[in-house]
Amino acid sequence: MQMDSRFQVEQDAENRNTYYLNMGPQHPSTHGVLRIRLHLEGETILSAEPIIGYGHRAHEKMAENRDYLQFLPNPSRVDYLAGMIYNIGYCQAIERMLGIEVPERAEYIRIMGNELNRISSHLLWLGTFLMDLGAFTPFLYVFDDREKILDILDRITGSRLTYCYGRFGGVTLDVNDEFLTCVSNFCTYFSDRMKMFEDLVIGNVIFRERSIGVGIFSQDLVNQYAISGPCLRAMGHANDVRKDEPYGIYDRFDFDVPTRTEADCFARSLVRMDEMRQSVRIIQQAVSDIPDGPFIAAKVPKRIRPPEGDYYFCVESPRGSFGMYIVSDGSDIPYRHKLRTPSFSNLSAMPAVMAGTLLADTVAILGSIDIVVPEIDR
Amino acid sequence: MIADKLTSLVQDSTDVEYDARGYNKHHVAPADTLLQVAEVFQSEDFYLEMITCQDRRETDTVFRLVYQFTRLKSPQRHIIHTDIAPDAVPSSIVSLFPSADWYEREIFDMYGISFDGHPDLKRILMDEDYTGYPLLKDFVDPPTPYRSEEDADG
Repeated sequence: MQMDSRFQVEQDAENRNTYYLNMGPQHPSTHGVLRIRLHLEGETILSAEPIIGYGHRAHEKMAENRDYLQFLPNPSRVDYLAGMIYNIGYCQAIERMLGIEVPERAEYIRIMGNELNRISSHLLWLGTFLMDLGAFTPFLYVFDDREKILDILDRITGSRLTYCYGRFGGVTLDVNDEFLTCVSNFCTYFSDRMKMFEDLVIGNVIFRERSIGVGIFSQDLVNQYAISGPCLRAMGHANDVRKDEPYGIYDRFDFDVPTRTEADCFARSLVRMDEMRQSVRIIQQAVSDIPDGPFIAAKVPKRIRPPEGDYYFCVESPRGSFGMYIVSDGSDIPYRHKLRTPSFSNLSAMPAVMAGTLLADTVAILGSIDIVVPEIDR
Repeated sequence: MIADKLTSLVQDSTDVEYDARGYNKHHVAPADTLLQVAEVFQSEDFYLEMITCQDRRETDTVFRLVYQFTRLKSPQRHIIHTDIAPDAVPSSIVSLFPSADWYEREIFDMYGISFDGHPDLKRILMDEDYTGYPLLKDFVDPPTPYRSEEDADG
């Protein structure tokens, strides 16, 4: 079998001391089908070029060919690790376009769903990131906890990853007291587990050696590449869409935006660990404050026809600011639906970080940015 | 102030109701001042959130480029519309905002619009030997070419 020459180690035609190496598209540490073309001199990276698009599923084209309701199952497939946040974010966008009032109870259910989803996404990141760095055991521990979240969300949504739980004006099904007990028990349990993770991981010498001072994002990159999410907060900017441009009822909750200033892989890890604690805080407040009442608005128009014009709504996904730019022409099919995904922007900054680092650091940097490849490819 | 600097460069600026639309200002800029507009935003510490495009050839015989700028401190979202003729080559803003690199490549990939001054304009999401521009409104998906079993074994 002749291998495609594009995927082989290539000798550099101009300089005999350097060569090109493909990482991926099937490399396990790229977490999906991402290819990075590395220009190497020995073990030092001269330049890196991410090559994306292997998982392109034409979500934006699909949006232009179906009405607003028919697109509802799609957003959770864009980023399958934060399906709830994307799905509910899309519902909130449509609600703001049409001015639909959402009942209080539904808002609280959404917050719980969002934050549980954020924890499960961060847990998966923690497990896979450490596995990339050679630590296999934490992976098993975090998947144990992550499975608990998936079970809880499974109770109300009926699916494990690609949730389609939100509806325009509320959510599909109400939650019961048993669910709330499960959630609050999980919060108590998880706070203890967080202590263990921090002891196991953050204090680990090998982990610190592999991450401290590696992959430092310089401050210029913020404005150059529109970095968002934990990567941005690890650079000392306390920016979070939930605080800056509150959507839903996030402005009612008491939580902090964790930041670090080192901007290296270690700082990004710590920010995510702290974010999980903050998410637990939000969930606990939501469980204690959730009111009774309807879980979906009584009057939602059957045909969704937003007023003509442009709309841009963003939500805070576990990876950063996820934006939906929707153009309505007054009909029930969007004229244009652009998905601005955080991994796309964060990954585009990666080549600027990679130059001069070592080949072995590629996995650490890539893992610490926490990309989800289907989200980049859309 | 950003508004003063923009007045001579844009044709039309309007305030937008944030709650309903999700952004604060809307501008219409001609294609030839695009670089200067981007410079203004750069000097005011804004960053480029996204670039995208709309295929409006059927109704207005133009492509509409859409730029969005915002900033970290007290977010203020500006959306800029630039209408260009279907065969026009707008100038690239990669020199000012490196993040435009991938967005412009995506527009090239999906709409076939070239950007003047882009360092490496090539397809980004579709395969490099793909023909056609998928997000055009009149796009018809070419049938998948037949591959014999021999080809598949390679």
